[in-house]
Amino acid sequence: MSFRDTLNSGKFTVTAEIGPPKGTDIKEMLHHMEILRGKIDAANITDNQSAVMRISSIAVCKLAMENGLEPILQMTCRDRNRIGLQADLLGAYVLGIRNVLCMTGDHVSAGDHKQAKPVYDVESVQLLKIVDGMNNGKDMSGNDLKGATDYFQGAVVTPESNPIEPQLMKFEKKVNAGAKFFQTQAIYDIEKFKTFMAHARRFNVKIMAGIVVLKSAGMANFMNNFVPGIKVPQNLIDELKAAGKEKVLDTGLNIAARHIKQLKDEKICDGVHIMAIGMEDKVPTIMERAGLL
Amino acid sequence: MIATKKREFKDLLENIKDYKSFFLVGCSECASLCGTGGEPELAELKETLEKEGKTVTGTFRAKTGCQVLGTKVELKPFKEQLDKTDVVIVMSCGAGTQAAVEIFPDKPVYQSNDTMFLANMTRYQMFDERCSLCGECILDETGGICPVTSCPKGLLNGPCGGTNEGKCEVSPDIPCCWVRIYERLNKINRLDDMKKTMEAKDWSKSQKPRALVARAKEEKKK
Repeated sequence: MSFRDTLNSGKFTVTAEIGPPKGTDIKEMLHHMEILRGKIDAANITDNQSAVMRISSIAVCKLAMENGLEPILQMTCRDRNRIGLQADLLGAYVLGIRNVLCMTGDHVSAGDHKQAKPVYDVESVQLLKIVDGMNNGKDMSGNDLKGATDYFQGAVVTPESNPIEPQLMKFEKKVNAGAKFFQTQAIYDIEKFKTFMAHARRFNVKIMAGIVVLKSAGMANFMNNFVPGIKVPQNLIDELKAAGKEKVLDTGLNIAARHIKQLKDEKICDGVHIMAIGMEDKVPTIMERAGLL
Repeated sequence: MIATKKREFKDLLENIKDYKSFFLVGCSECASLCGTGGEPELAELKETLEKEGKTVTGTFRAKTGCQVLGTKVELKPFKEQLDKTDVVIVMSCGAGTQAAVEIFPDKPVYQSNDTMFLANMTRYQMFDERCSLCGECILDETGGICPVTSCPKGLLNGPCGGTNEGKCEVSPDIPCCWVRIYERLNKINRLDDMKKTMEAKDWSKSQKPRALVARAKEEKKK
Protein backbone atom coordinates (compact mmCIF):
# COMPACT_ATOMS: atom_id res chain seq x y z
CA MET A 1 0.00 0.00 0.00
CA SER A 2 1.29 3.47 -0.80
CA PHE A 3 2.29 5.91 1.91
CA ARG A 4 -0.74 8.05 1.06
CA ASP A 5 -3.15 5.11 1.32
CA THR A 6 -1.53 3.80 4.50
CA LEU A 7 -1.78 7.16 6.22
CA ASN A 8 -5.34 7.73 4.98
CA SER A 9 -6.39 4.22 6.05
CA GLY A 10 -5.86 5.17 9.67
CA LYS A 11 -2.99 2.72 10.19
CA PHE A 12 -0.25 4.05 12.44
CA THR A 13 2.33 5.09 9.84
CA VAL A 14 6.10 5.15 10.17
CA THR A 15 8.58 7.14 8.12
CA ALA A 16 12.32 7.47 8.56
CA GLU A 17 14.92 9.71 7.08
CA ILE A 18 17.66 9.08 4.54
CA GLY A 19 20.26 11.82 4.25
CA PRO A 20 21.99 11.74 0.86
CA PRO A 21 25.77 11.58 1.22
CA LYS A 22 28.23 14.23 0.13
CA GLY A 23 30.00 12.50 -2.71
CA THR A 24 29.38 9.66 -5.09
CA ASP A 25 30.02 6.77 -2.69
CA ILE A 26 26.49 5.58 -1.93
CA LYS A 27 27.32 2.16 -0.45
CA GLU A 28 26.43 3.06 3.13
CA MET A 29 23.23 4.81 2.06
CA LEU A 30 22.12 1.78 0.01
CA HIS A 31 22.83 -0.36 3.06
CA HIS A 32 20.54 1.87 5.14
CA MET A 33 17.85 1.57 2.50
CA GLU A 34 18.14 -2.21 2.67
CA ILE A 35 17.77 -2.18 6.44
CA LEU A 36 14.63 -0.02 6.23
CA ARG A 37 13.03 -1.80 3.29
CA GLY A 38 9.75 -3.53 4.16
CA LYS A 39 9.73 -2.02 7.65
CA ILE A 40 8.84 1.63 7.23
CA ASP A 41 6.02 3.04 5.11
CA ALA A 42 8.13 5.68 3.40
CA ALA A 43 11.50 7.37 3.63
CA ASN A 44 12.06 11.10 3.65
CA ILE A 45 14.95 12.03 1.40
CA THR A 46 16.43 15.25 2.71
CA ASP A 47 17.25 18.21 0.48
CA ASN A 48 20.75 19.53 1.18
CA GLN A 49 19.90 19.29 4.87
CA SER A 50 21.33 21.99 7.12
CA ALA A 51 22.27 23.78 3.87
CA VAL A 52 25.16 21.35 3.42
CA MET A 53 25.64 20.44 -0.26
CA ARG A 54 24.99 16.75 -1.00
CA ILE A 55 23.53 14.46 -3.70
CA SER A 56 20.26 15.91 -4.91
CA SER A 57 17.11 14.70 -3.23
CA ILE A 58 15.43 13.69 -6.49
CA ALA A 59 18.31 11.42 -7.52
CA VAL A 60 18.24 9.68 -4.15
CA CYS A 61 14.43 9.38 -4.28
CA LYS A 62 14.88 7.48 -7.54
CA LEU A 63 17.50 5.22 -5.91
CA ALA A 64 15.13 4.64 -3.00
CA MET A 65 12.42 3.46 -5.38
CA GLU A 66 14.86 1.15 -7.14
CA ASN A 67 15.73 -0.25 -3.73
CA GLY A 68 12.19 -0.91 -2.60
CA LEU A 69 11.51 2.18 -0.51
CA GLU A 70 8.76 4.67 -1.19
CA PRO A 71 10.34 8.12 -1.04
CA ILE A 72 9.05 11.42 0.28
CA LEU A 73 10.83 14.12 -1.64
CA GLN A 74 11.88 16.90 0.71
CA MET A 75 11.89 20.14 -1.18
CA THR A 76 13.25 23.39 0.20
CA CYS A 77 12.98 26.87 -1.27
CA ARG A 78 16.55 27.81 -0.45
CA ASP A 79 18.33 26.72 -3.61
CA ARG A 80 15.83 27.12 -6.46
CA ASN A 81 13.51 29.84 -7.67
CA ARG A 82 9.91 29.17 -8.70
CA ILE A 83 10.98 28.03 -12.16
CA GLY A 84 13.49 25.53 -10.78
CA LEU A 85 11.09 24.23 -8.13
CA GLN A 86 8.29 23.63 -10.61
CA ALA A 87 10.62 22.02 -13.14
CA ASP A 88 11.88 19.67 -10.42
CA LEU A 89 8.33 18.91 -9.28
CA LEU A 90 7.45 17.83 -12.82
CA GLY A 91 10.72 15.95 -13.18
CA ALA A 92 10.29 14.10 -9.89
CA TYR A 93 6.75 13.17 -10.82
CA VAL A 94 7.66 11.57 -14.13
CA LEU A 95 10.33 9.57 -12.30
CA GLY A 96 7.54 8.10 -10.17
CA ILE A 97 7.89 10.21 -7.03
CA ARG A 98 4.47 10.80 -5.47
CA ASN A 99 5.10 12.38 -2.08
CA VAL A 100 6.59 15.79 -1.48
CA LEU A 101 7.38 17.60 1.75
CA CYS A 102 7.37 21.35 1.25
CA MET A 103 9.65 23.36 3.47
CA THR A 104 11.44 26.70 3.46
CA GLY A 105 14.84 25.22 4.29
CA ASP A 106 17.65 26.09 6.68
CA HIS A 107 19.44 29.29 5.82
CA VAL A 108 22.71 29.02 3.87
CA SER A 109 24.51 30.49 6.87
CA ALA A 110 24.00 27.12 8.63
CA GLY A 111 25.74 25.16 5.91
CA ASP A 112 29.05 24.64 4.14
CA HIS A 113 28.64 27.21 1.36
CA LYS A 114 28.08 30.32 3.41
CA GLN A 115 28.82 32.65 0.47
CA ALA A 116 25.93 31.22 -1.57
CA LYS A 117 23.04 33.46 -2.52
CA PRO A 118 19.96 32.19 -0.66
CA VAL A 119 17.03 32.08 -3.07
CA TYR A 120 13.72 31.99 -1.11
CA ASP A 121 11.86 33.25 -4.17
CA VAL A 122 8.87 31.49 -2.60
CA GLU A 123 8.49 29.84 0.82
CA SER A 124 6.83 26.77 2.30
CA VAL A 125 3.23 28.03 2.23
CA GLN A 126 3.57 29.24 -1.35
CA LEU A 127 5.32 26.02 -2.41
CA LEU A 128 2.35 24.06 -1.07
CA LYS A 129 0.10 26.24 -3.21
CA ILE A 130 2.31 25.57 -6.22
CA VAL A 131 1.99 21.79 -5.67
CA ASP A 132 -1.77 22.12 -5.27
CA GLY A 133 -1.93 24.07 -8.53
CA MET A 134 0.16 21.50 -10.38
CA ASN A 135 -2.08 18.75 -9.03
CA ASN A 136 -4.88 20.69 -10.69
CA GLY A 137 -3.06 20.99 -14.00
CA LYS A 138 -1.75 24.54 -13.68
CA ASP A 139 1.66 26.03 -13.16
CA MET A 140 2.17 28.94 -10.82
CA SER A 141 1.47 31.50 -13.54
CA GLY A 142 -1.81 29.79 -14.38
CA ASN A 143 -0.57 28.14 -17.57
CA ASP A 144 -2.01 24.74 -18.43
CA LEU A 145 0.25 21.75 -17.87
CA LYS A 146 0.35 19.01 -20.43
CA GLY A 147 -0.41 16.39 -17.83
CA ALA A 148 -0.98 17.29 -14.18
CA THR A 149 0.82 15.92 -11.14
CA ASP A 150 -0.90 13.93 -8.42
CA TYR A 151 1.28 14.60 -5.43
CA PHE A 152 0.55 13.77 -1.82
CA GLN A 153 1.96 16.91 -0.28
CA GLY A 154 3.02 17.52 3.26
CA ALA A 155 4.63 20.15 5.41
CA VAL A 156 6.44 20.56 8.71
CA VAL A 157 5.43 22.14 11.98
CA THR A 158 7.24 22.82 15.25
CA PRO A 159 4.84 22.05 18.12
CA GLU A 160 7.27 23.34 20.75
CA SER A 161 8.01 26.62 19.03
CA ASN A 162 8.06 29.53 21.41
CA PRO A 163 6.00 31.67 21.07
CA ILE A 164 3.58 29.08 19.68
CA GLU A 165 0.83 31.37 18.33
CA PRO A 166 2.62 32.54 15.15
CA GLN A 167 3.62 28.91 14.48
CA LEU A 168 0.01 27.76 14.76
CA MET A 169 -1.13 30.54 12.44
CA LYS A 170 1.38 29.34 9.89
CA PHE A 171 0.27 25.75 10.42
CA GLU A 172 -3.25 26.80 9.51
CA LYS A 173 -1.98 28.61 6.41
CA LYS A 174 -0.23 25.42 5.35
CA VAL A 175 -3.43 23.44 5.81
CA ASN A 176 -5.32 25.97 3.71
CA ALA A 177 -2.57 25.84 1.09
CA GLY A 178 -3.22 22.14 0.61
CA ALA A 179 -0.94 20.28 3.02
CA LYS A 180 -2.34 16.79 3.56
CA PHE A 181 0.10 15.59 6.19
CA PHE A 182 2.53 17.10 8.65
CA GLN A 183 5.76 15.78 10.07
CA THR A 184 6.72 17.60 13.24
CA GLN A 185 10.02 18.76 14.66
CA ALA A 186 11.28 16.33 17.31
CA ILE A 187 8.98 16.11 20.31
CA TYR A 188 9.90 14.75 23.74
CA ASP A 189 7.10 15.93 26.00
CA ILE A 190 4.05 13.85 25.11
CA GLU A 191 1.70 15.77 27.41
CA LYS A 192 2.64 19.05 25.73
CA PHE A 193 2.33 17.39 22.35
CA LYS A 194 -1.23 16.43 23.24
CA THR A 195 -2.04 20.13 23.61
CA PHE A 196 -0.75 20.75 20.11
CA MET A 197 -2.70 17.76 18.80
CA ALA A 198 -5.91 19.08 20.36
CA HIS A 199 -5.42 22.12 18.12
CA ALA A 200 -4.30 20.15 15.06
CA ARG A 201 -7.24 17.75 15.26
CA ARG A 202 -9.54 20.59 14.30
CA PHE A 203 -8.17 20.25 10.77
CA ASN A 204 -8.50 17.42 8.29
CA VAL A 205 -4.80 16.57 8.09
CA LYS A 206 -2.60 13.72 9.23
CA ILE A 207 0.05 14.40 11.85
CA MET A 208 3.22 12.38 12.25
CA ALA A 209 5.25 13.10 15.38
CA GLY A 210 8.96 13.69 14.93
CA ILE A 211 11.17 11.30 16.87
CA VAL A 212 14.89 11.97 17.27
CA VAL A 213 16.84 9.37 19.25
CA LEU A 214 18.70 10.80 22.22
CA LYS A 215 22.25 9.45 22.18
CA SER A 216 23.39 11.07 25.42
CA ALA A 217 22.50 13.64 28.06
CA GLY A 218 25.00 15.93 26.35
CA MET A 219 23.10 15.71 23.09
CA ALA A 220 19.86 16.51 24.91
CA ASN A 221 21.42 19.55 26.55
CA PHE A 222 22.92 20.65 23.26
CA MET A 223 19.55 20.49 21.54
CA ASN A 224 17.87 22.36 24.39
CA ASN A 225 20.43 25.12 24.07
CA PHE A 226 21.00 25.32 20.35
CA VAL A 227 18.25 23.68 18.31
CA PRO A 228 15.20 25.92 17.96
CA GLY A 229 11.89 24.30 18.81
CA ILE A 230 13.31 21.27 20.63
CA LYS A 231 12.80 20.87 24.36
CA VAL A 232 14.00 17.72 26.09
CA PRO A 233 12.42 17.55 29.57
CA GLN A 234 14.75 17.19 32.55
CA ASN A 235 13.37 13.76 33.57
CA LEU A 236 14.59 12.30 30.25
CA ILE A 237 18.02 13.89 30.67
CA ASP A 238 18.17 12.38 34.17
CA GLU A 239 17.16 8.99 32.79
CA LEU A 240 20.01 9.14 30.25
CA LYS A 241 22.50 10.22 32.93
CA ALA A 242 21.44 7.40 35.24
CA ALA A 243 21.91 4.83 32.47
CA GLY A 244 25.67 5.26 32.50
CA LYS A 245 27.98 5.34 29.52
CA GLU A 246 27.48 1.76 28.39
CA LYS A 247 23.70 1.76 28.43
CA VAL A 248 23.00 5.35 27.40
CA LEU A 249 22.32 4.62 23.73
CA ASP A 250 20.12 1.69 24.65
CA THR A 251 18.21 3.99 26.99
CA GLY A 252 17.83 6.54 24.20
CA LEU A 253 16.39 3.84 21.95
CA ASN A 254 14.04 2.80 24.75
CA ILE A 255 12.82 6.35 25.25
CA ALA A 256 12.09 6.67 21.52
CA ALA A 257 10.30 3.30 21.48
CA ARG A 258 8.32 4.15 24.61
CA HIS A 259 7.17 7.46 23.13
CA ILE A 260 6.17 5.82 19.85
CA LYS A 261 4.22 3.13 21.70
CA GLN A 262 2.38 5.73 23.77
CA LEU A 263 1.59 7.85 20.69
CA LYS A 264 0.18 4.78 18.98
CA ASP A 265 -1.64 3.15 21.91
CA GLU A 266 -3.29 6.37 23.00
CA LYS A 267 -4.04 7.28 19.37
CA ILE A 268 -2.46 10.68 19.95
CA CYS A 269 -1.36 11.15 16.33
CA ASP A 270 -1.36 9.32 13.00
CA GLY A 271 2.20 8.08 12.90
CA VAL A 272 5.81 8.90 13.60
CA HIS A 273 8.72 10.23 11.61
CA ILE A 274 11.95 8.78 12.98
CA MET A 275 15.04 10.90 12.39
CA ALA A 276 17.90 8.61 13.31
CA ILE A 277 20.66 11.02 12.21
CA GLY A 278 23.48 8.58 11.52
CA MET A 279 21.81 5.64 13.29
CA GLU A 280 19.52 4.47 10.50
CA ASP A 281 20.49 0.87 11.34
CA LYS A 282 18.83 1.31 14.75
CA VAL A 283 15.41 2.20 13.33
CA PRO A 284 14.24 -1.45 13.19
CA THR A 285 15.30 -1.90 16.85
CA ILE A 286 13.22 1.10 17.88
CA MET A 287 10.26 -0.18 15.88
CA GLU A 288 10.56 -3.65 17.43
CA ARG A 289 10.66 -2.24 20.95
CA ALA A 290 7.67 -0.05 20.15
CA GLY A 291 5.79 -3.16 19.06
CA LEU A 292 5.58 -2.08 15.44
CA LEU A 293 7.44 -5.03 13.89
CA MET B 1 19.83 57.08 3.83
CA ILE B 2 22.53 54.97 2.24
CA ALA B 3 24.97 53.33 4.63
CA THR B 4 28.57 53.28 3.48
CA LYS B 5 31.64 51.71 5.01
CA LYS B 6 35.19 52.88 4.52
CA ARG B 7 37.35 50.46 2.56
CA GLU B 8 40.77 49.40 3.71
CA PHE B 9 43.16 52.16 2.65
CA LYS B 10 45.68 49.65 1.34
CA ASP B 11 43.07 48.34 -1.12
CA LEU B 12 42.34 51.85 -2.37
CA LEU B 13 46.10 52.50 -2.59
CA GLU B 14 46.58 49.37 -4.68
CA ASN B 15 43.83 50.46 -7.08
CA ILE B 16 45.28 53.97 -7.55
CA LYS B 17 48.98 53.05 -7.55
CA ASP B 18 49.46 54.14 -11.19
CA TYR B 19 48.37 57.73 -10.51
CA LYS B 20 49.87 60.78 -8.89
CA SER B 21 47.32 63.55 -8.41
CA PHE B 22 43.86 63.29 -6.91
CA PHE B 23 40.73 65.33 -6.36
CA LEU B 24 38.52 64.14 -3.51
CA VAL B 25 34.73 64.33 -3.64
CA GLY B 26 32.73 63.83 -0.46
CA CYS B 27 29.01 64.21 0.14
CA SER B 28 27.15 66.20 2.76
CA GLU B 29 24.25 63.76 2.89
CA CYS B 30 24.49 60.10 3.93
CA ALA B 31 28.27 59.74 3.70
CA SER B 32 28.73 62.62 6.13
CA LEU B 33 26.36 60.98 8.61
CA CYS B 34 28.18 57.67 8.18
CA GLY B 35 31.54 59.31 8.77
CA THR B 36 32.82 58.18 5.39
CA GLY B 37 32.61 61.28 3.21
CA GLY B 38 32.27 64.42 5.35
CA GLU B 39 34.82 67.20 5.94
CA PRO B 40 36.86 65.28 8.56
CA GLU B 41 37.15 62.26 6.26
CA LEU B 42 38.10 64.42 3.26
CA ALA B 43 40.88 66.02 5.35
CA GLU B 44 42.00 62.64 6.65
CA LEU B 45 42.24 61.02 3.23
CA LYS B 46 44.07 64.08 1.87
CA GLU B 47 46.65 63.78 4.64
CA THR B 48 47.01 60.03 4.20
CA LEU B 49 47.51 60.33 0.44
CA GLU B 50 50.06 63.09 0.88
CA LYS B 51 51.97 60.89 3.33
CA GLU B 52 52.10 58.31 0.55
CA GLY B 53 53.71 60.94 -1.70
CA LYS B 54 50.57 61.67 -3.69
CA THR B 55 49.30 65.13 -4.61
CA VAL B 56 45.81 66.23 -3.67
CA THR B 57 44.71 69.04 -5.97
CA GLY B 58 41.56 69.77 -4.01
CA THR B 59 38.74 68.49 -1.83
CA PHE B 60 35.05 69.17 -2.23
CA ARG B 61 31.92 68.08 -0.44
CA ALA B 62 28.93 67.79 -2.76
CA LYS B 63 25.59 68.92 -1.44
CA THR B 64 23.96 65.73 -2.75
CA GLY B 65 26.55 63.63 -4.50
CA CYS B 66 24.08 61.34 -6.24
CA GLN B 67 22.47 64.30 -7.97
CA VAL B 68 24.29 64.44 -11.28
CA LEU B 69 23.44 67.89 -12.62
CA GLY B 70 23.60 69.67 -9.28
CA THR B 71 26.99 68.22 -8.47
CA LYS B 72 28.28 69.10 -11.93
CA VAL B 73 27.28 72.75 -11.39
CA GLU B 74 28.83 72.77 -7.92
CA LEU B 75 32.10 71.49 -9.35
CA LYS B 76 32.44 74.32 -11.93
CA PRO B 77 34.55 76.59 -9.67
CA PHE B 78 37.08 73.73 -9.24
CA LYS B 79 37.92 73.56 -12.96
CA GLU B 80 41.52 74.68 -12.49
CA GLN B 81 42.32 72.04 -9.84
CA LEU B 82 40.46 69.35 -11.77
CA ASP B 83 42.48 70.06 -14.93
CA LYS B 84 45.62 69.21 -12.95
CA THR B 85 44.09 66.00 -11.57
CA ASP B 86 44.76 62.42 -12.75
CA VAL B 87 42.02 60.75 -10.74
CA VAL B 88 38.83 61.63 -8.87
CA ILE B 89 38.24 59.71 -5.64
CA VAL B 90 34.61 59.63 -4.52
CA MET B 91 33.97 59.28 -0.81
CA SER B 92 30.25 58.56 -0.82
CA CYS B 93 28.15 55.70 -2.15
CA GLY B 94 28.05 53.79 -5.42
CA ALA B 95 25.50 56.27 -6.72
CA GLY B 96 27.88 59.14 -5.95
CA THR B 97 30.74 57.38 -7.71
CA GLN B 98 28.66 56.80 -10.79
CA ALA B 99 27.46 60.40 -10.80
CA ALA B 100 31.15 61.36 -10.89
CA VAL B 101 31.79 58.93 -13.74
CA GLU B 102 29.13 60.79 -15.71
CA ILE B 103 30.53 64.19 -14.75
CA PHE B 104 34.12 63.20 -15.59
CA PRO B 105 33.87 61.15 -18.78
CA ASP B 106 37.64 61.46 -19.44
CA LYS B 107 39.01 60.79 -15.95
CA PRO B 108 39.35 57.61 -13.92
CA VAL B 109 37.07 57.66 -10.86
CA TYR B 110 37.79 55.47 -7.80
CA GLN B 111 35.87 55.09 -4.61
CA SER B 112 36.96 54.93 -1.01
CA ASN B 113 33.84 53.23 0.40
CA ASP B 114 31.75 50.11 0.06
CA THR B 115 28.03 50.79 -0.32
CA MET B 116 26.02 48.78 2.18
CA PHE B 117 22.26 49.29 2.36
CA LEU B 118 19.32 51.63 2.75
CA ALA B 119 19.72 52.49 6.38
CA ASN B 120 17.86 53.68 9.41
CA MET B 121 20.14 55.55 11.79
CA THR B 122 19.27 54.26 15.25
CA ARG B 123 21.91 56.15 17.22
CA TYR B 124 24.87 58.28 16.20
CA GLN B 125 26.65 56.34 13.43
CA MET B 126 24.68 53.17 14.14
CA PHE B 127 22.65 51.86 11.25
CA ASP B 128 20.34 49.02 10.46
CA GLU B 129 18.50 47.82 7.40
CA ARG B 130 14.71 47.91 7.43
CA CYS B 131 13.82 48.39 3.78
CA SER B 132 15.36 46.60 0.82
CA LEU B 133 13.75 48.68 -1.93
CA CYS B 134 11.87 45.72 -3.40
CA GLY B 135 9.49 47.94 -5.35
CA GLU B 136 6.26 46.61 -3.90
CA CYS B 137 5.56 47.58 -0.33
CA ILE B 138 3.74 45.15 1.97
CA LEU B 139 4.16 47.12 5.19
CA ASP B 140 0.42 47.74 5.44
CA GLU B 141 -0.11 44.01 5.84
CA THR B 142 2.67 43.32 8.28
CA GLY B 143 2.16 45.90 10.99
CA GLY B 144 4.70 48.22 9.42
CA ILE B 145 7.63 45.83 9.89
CA CYS B 146 9.16 44.54 6.65
CA PRO B 147 9.77 40.77 6.58
CA VAL B 148 11.28 40.96 3.09
CA THR B 149 14.16 42.79 4.73
CA SER B 150 14.12 41.84 8.39
CA CYS B 151 13.78 38.07 7.87
CA PRO B 152 16.97 36.57 6.36
CA LYS B 153 14.72 34.29 4.30
CA GLY B 154 12.28 37.08 3.41
CA LEU B 155 9.38 34.90 4.57
CA LEU B 156 5.94 36.34 3.93
CA ASN B 157 3.67 33.98 5.85
CA GLY B 158 5.01 33.71 9.36
CA PRO B 159 8.10 32.44 11.14
CA CYS B 160 10.09 29.38 10.07
CA GLY B 161 10.93 26.50 12.37
CA GLY B 162 14.19 28.23 13.23
CA THR B 163 12.56 30.93 15.31
CA ASN B 164 13.72 30.58 18.87
CA GLU B 165 12.32 32.54 21.82
CA GLY B 166 12.02 35.58 19.60
CA LYS B 167 15.45 35.16 18.01
CA CYS B 168 16.40 34.20 14.46
CA GLU B 169 18.10 30.90 13.56
CA VAL B 170 20.67 32.82 11.55
CA SER B 171 21.95 34.73 14.57
CA PRO B 172 20.78 35.35 18.12
CA ASP B 173 21.60 39.01 17.44
CA ILE B 174 18.73 39.17 14.96
CA PRO B 175 15.25 39.38 16.47
CA CYS B 176 12.76 37.10 14.67
CA CYS B 177 10.82 39.68 12.69
CA TRP B 178 7.75 37.44 12.53
CA VAL B 179 7.58 37.37 16.30
CA ARG B 180 7.92 41.16 16.23
CA ILE B 181 5.17 41.39 13.61
CA TYR B 182 2.97 39.06 15.64
CA GLU B 183 3.48 41.08 18.82
CA ARG B 184 2.89 44.39 17.10
CA LEU B 185 -0.25 43.25 15.30
CA ASN B 186 -1.52 41.84 18.57
CA LYS B 187 -0.84 45.15 20.30
CA ILE B 188 -2.61 47.24 17.67
CA ASN B 189 -5.52 44.80 17.45
CA ARG B 190 -4.78 43.73 13.87
CA LEU B 191 -3.87 40.07 14.35
CA ASP B 192 -6.28 39.06 11.59
CA ASP B 193 -3.85 40.68 9.12
CA MET B 194 -1.41 37.87 9.87
CA LYS B 195 -3.95 35.18 9.07
CA LYS B 196 -4.11 36.16 5.41
CA THR B 197 -1.88 34.09 3.17
CA MET B 198 0.44 36.32 1.21
CA GLU B 199 1.07 35.43 -2.41
CA ALA B 200 4.58 34.94 -3.72
CA LYS B 201 6.33 38.21 -4.31
CA ASP B 202 6.38 39.79 -7.74
CA TRP B 203 10.11 40.18 -8.21
CA SER B 204 9.64 41.76 -11.61
CA LYS B 205 8.93 44.93 -9.62
CA SER B 206 12.60 45.04 -8.66
CA GLN B 207 14.06 44.02 -11.98
CA LYS B 208 17.33 45.85 -12.48
CA PRO B 209 18.23 48.42 -13.63
CA ARG B 210 15.25 50.41 -12.47
CA ALA B 211 14.35 53.92 -13.60
CA LEU B 212 11.63 56.27 -12.51
CA VAL B 213 10.16 59.38 -14.07
CA ALA B 214 8.34 61.10 -11.25
CA ARG B 215 7.49 64.32 -13.01
CA ALA B 216 4.33 64.74 -15.02
CA LYS B 217 5.86 65.09 -18.47
CA GLU B 218 9.23 64.91 -20.13
CA GLU B 219 10.43 68.46 -20.62
CA LYS B 220 10.66 69.47 -24.22
CA LYS B 221 14.16 70.27 -25.34
CA LYS B 222 14.39 73.80 -26.63
